[in-house]
Amino acid sequence: MIKSKISIGKIVIYLILILWAITTIFPFIWVIVNSFKPSAEVLTSSFSLPKEFTWDNYTNAFSKLKIANAYKNSLLISGTVTVGVISVSTMMAFALTRYEFRGKKIIESMLVASLMFPVFSTIIPVFRLMSITDLLNSNWAVILPQIAGNLSFATIVLIGFLKSIPIEMEEAAYMEGANVFQVFLKIIIPLSKASISTVAIFSFLWSYNDLFVQKIMIKDNTKYPIASLLEEISSKYGTDYGLMASSVTLIVVPVLFVYIFLQKNIMKGLTAGAIKG
Amino acid sequence: MKKKALSILLATVLTFTMLTGCGKTEETADDQTTTEATDEAEVTETEPEAEAQKDVTIKTVSMFGGTDPNAEVYQQIIADFQTTYDYITVEDNSQSSDEEWKASVAADFSVGNEPDVLQFFTDATANQIVATDKFVSIEEIHAEYPEYAQDTMGTALEAAKNTDGVQRAVPTTGYWEGLFCNKDLFDQYNLALPTDFASLKTAIETFNENGIVPIAVSLNNVPHYWVEFSLLYAAGPEGYEAVPETAPADWVRGLEFVKTLRDLGAFPVDTDTVDNEYVGSLFKSKQAAMQLDGSWFLGGIEDQENTVVIAFPGMDDQKAEAGSIVGGISSGFYITRKAWEDPDKRDAAVKFVMAQTSQEAVQKYWEKGGAVGKAAVEVTPVEGMTNLALSALAYTNGATALCAPTDSRIDPEAYKTIIAGIVKVSTGGSAEDLLNEALAINNDRK
Amino acid sequence: MLYKKKWPLLIFVVPGLVFLFVFLYLPFVENIKNSFFDMTGVVEMPGSPWKFIQFDNYKKLFSDETIAIAIGNSFRMMGLTVVFEVGFAFILAVLVNNIRKGQQIFRTVFFFPIVISATAIGLLFKLFYNYNGGMLNQILKSLSLDPVNWLSPELAFLMICIPTLWSYVGFYFVILLTGLTNISDDIYEAADIDGCSKFKQVFYLTIPMMRPVIVTCVTLAVTGALKVFDLPWVIAANGAPQGLTHFLGTYMYQVTFGMNNYDYGSTIAIVIVVMGVVVSRLVHIIFRDEKKEVGR
Repeated sequence: MIKSKISIGKIVIYLILILWAITTIFPFIWVIVNSFKPSAEVLTSSFSLPKEFTWDNYTNAFSKLKIANAYKNSLLISGTVTVGVISVSTMMAFALTRYEFRGKKIIESMLVASLMFPVFSTIIPVFRLMSITDLLNSNWAVILPQIAGNLSFATIVLIGFLKSIPIEMEEAAYMEGANVFQVFLKIIIPLSKASISTVAIFSFLWSYNDLFVQKIMIKDNTKYPIASLLEEISSKYGTDYGLMASSVTLIVVPVLFVYIFLQKNIMKGLTAGAIKG
Repeated sequence: MKKKALSILLATVLTFTMLTGCGKTEETADDQTTTEATDEAEVTETEPEAEAQKDVTIKTVSMFGGTDPNAEVYQQIIADFQTTYDYITVEDNSQSSDEEWKASVAADFSVGNEPDVLQFFTDATANQIVATDKFVSIEEIHAEYPEYAQDTMGTALEAAKNTDGVQRAVPTTGYWEGLFCNKDLFDQYNLALPTDFASLKTAIETFNENGIVPIAVSLNNVPHYWVEFSLLYAAGPEGYEAVPETAPADWVRGLEFVKTLRDLGAFPVDTDTVDNEYVGSLFKSKQAAMQLDGSWFLGGIEDQENTVVIAFPGMDDQKAEAGSIVGGISSGFYITRKAWEDPDKRDAAVKFVMAQTSQEAVQKYWEKGGAVGKAAVEVTPVEGMTNLALSALAYTNGATALCAPTDSRIDPEAYKTIIAGIVKVSTGGSAEDLLNEALAINNDRK
Repeated sequence: MLYKKKWPLLIFVVPGLVFLFVFLYLPFVENIKNSFFDMTGVVEMPGSPWKFIQFDNYKKLFSDETIAIAIGNSFRMMGLTVVFEVGFAFILAVLVNNIRKGQQIFRTVFFFPIVISATAIGLLFKLFYNYNGGMLNQILKSLSLDPVNWLSPELAFLMICIPTLWSYVGFYFVILLTGLTNISDDIYEAADIDGCSKFKQVFYLTIPMMRPVIVTCVTLAVTGALKVFDLPWVIAANGAPQGLTHFLGTYMYQVTFGMNNYDYGSTIAIVIVVMGVVVSRLVHIIFRDEKKEVGR
């Protein structure tokens, strides 16, 4: 790398980056600041700091909107989806990278093709299936299709990574008497931690933020996960901007923390997956 | 003053409940019988119960769920019911109604997973389920339980019959739709409340000049009320209630009325993109002068003193008489054949529906709804009515015709095609093509 | 040797296949079947059978004005995602890769919009665009200008594209940056010594070396554009105003759940998948051809 002193080029680079960073940060600051204002003030002066600092919007959100309950539902759903996606896709990826068998090519191309399926094309039959099995309005009606939906992406990323793990270690373990399952649990999984956390975080985020499946499967508003609840707020309390701002904050902030914590792992995991491209 | 209000109320309720279908109002209100009827109702309610009973569980589904004010009453009645009949357990799964919910109810029926008692629509929405022949008719129930649905007025049962003319559901309350006006805004600009198209036009122009949205409506989200009233007033009650095969000229003219209003600047600038709740808040916060809505809108209005409900002002060359109203009774409690054919459940289901539709129960539902809707039994008036509620009573009292909305007669898919096309019609699209498309769907489904 | 015995395959592969079949492939096959019937409801009820209508729904595709708009918008969106999401993400990634201080912060901050649900972002932008009291009109007001209807037919498509594009730049940024950090510094140093400018390095070194990652990003972007739903729906439901902002995803949603035309909705779903497969093939063909030319 060249080590010039502060050049004009560098200043321009930083300028561009900072400008973009402002666009990504500004909206959230704006929302957080406004969440501490009475609704009327949001309407008249949304740029200044709150004249009267109030927690009302938050107490309101908790009492009116059962946000705590929606969190619980969302965490249950997305947590289960994440665990489900990881377990199923790691096993699939393991089999597809370690075994030679008839039909392997077919399975691989099926995975790639299903990336193309928009959730809209499968939702009606799945909705029907859920209503027949009486799972509508339960968390399972969201969890199961979401696992399937994230499976292809997850498996493809993991295949890319597992291919790069040298097979010698596994053979050595086998010589020492380990069976396939021990190899999988004791060698493969620890070695692919980074990649697995990438898959985990994307599965979690996509499940947490997926309005479509939630909206169709869960109609009972006492069982709403976060995304559905937010949409309801936007329609029901359409002009209570203070309440809207506080709800957005409540939904976004925890996820931001989770993301910042796990960010390092994401970077590592993506490195492995993306390069295979 | 209060006395007077009460007697008006009483008369109105009686008159109003007599109106069925699209008939002209018969001015035959007769309030002498109220007391008797109420007494009788109470007698049946406290009928002594048979001694040793086998435990029985009935599954019920209703649309009294979520944020619906009726939900509270409904659950209370269930709780009381289970105390009265301790051998009956009610497993209830109620939700407020929307498209996906209707679909899932239908799905339950198709796979044999239907509940024992269902509170559901009685109009065309129910046609698909009715077609499965899984509901028991009131006639059949009456043969064994003569006291079934006894508090409910015959006219109400008739209003809640299914589209094939058979009475199956026992209704509780109905609804009406009308034009809500912020009277203080009209006063401020020296405007009279609109009574015909000319005065409506004047009001729209004046409000526009003064930066007030004349009519709060989201054409993209809920144009239903404007569609209904425009069709009714353009076609007159008879033309409105007919189900044509192709677009009648009057219907086309009706839908084009929405465009006329839009061209006058009657709607919010962003009527194509905002949602219904947003325009509702424009009206409630006095940023908009008028809003066409249903009886359920009334309870949420804070300023009950300066807001009034009036009749639809009408349009040029209208065929409906002034004072024609859209409204009706379109839902009720059904007993399914599954429950009826199960000797244990039959009795429990009948008792459950009777508890939900008794005079006492309907009175509660009616009061919860602001005491201005339409009740299926003879109700006792409440005291301390607000200006808004009084104007609502005056409005329904002055009804010259009462018609159920179009979606009670045509296939849901056809109806929604019309609704989805309104924005286009209002910006110059062909109303005739839209109606023909929708009616073609309806013809196919018959 | 370890992987000679095939029976553990059953345990490893079957759960995944079950999910794929039950929730993706079987529904899709059923979806194809449904598109040939006049569905009276989501399920066939006794008493109201579905009529076999052959290719009526497919014929309708050709006379439906709204689907033409939706396809047009989806293609425009594809172009925009490739240029603004992948393209801009690439620029940002190259820039961030060239600095030392603050790299970590930018990496985190640029990813923010992905973390937040499309619903929340939609809501946010709704607050910006509102005619009465929205942020943009507040700015105009403070400058004593007339308020603008930001979601008018002329502006709406643009106003919906902005947040959609903006929110996904970070995703491609992360993938591309990861790819960049894997290119060895030695190569750049050699180029520096040869007197190759930074600008030229990007064209002659970075882009060729990043081709596989870029292809992945373009494929993801293009197929992703076909599936756009959440953000446009929250900002302007039903393709408002006047159906002009419909994408294939939002139109299918409205047809299916707003208008109860389930069979036509199924047909639109097939259009989405067919277009997705065709377009992603095209992407591969286009990039493969280029590669050959470069190789000459």
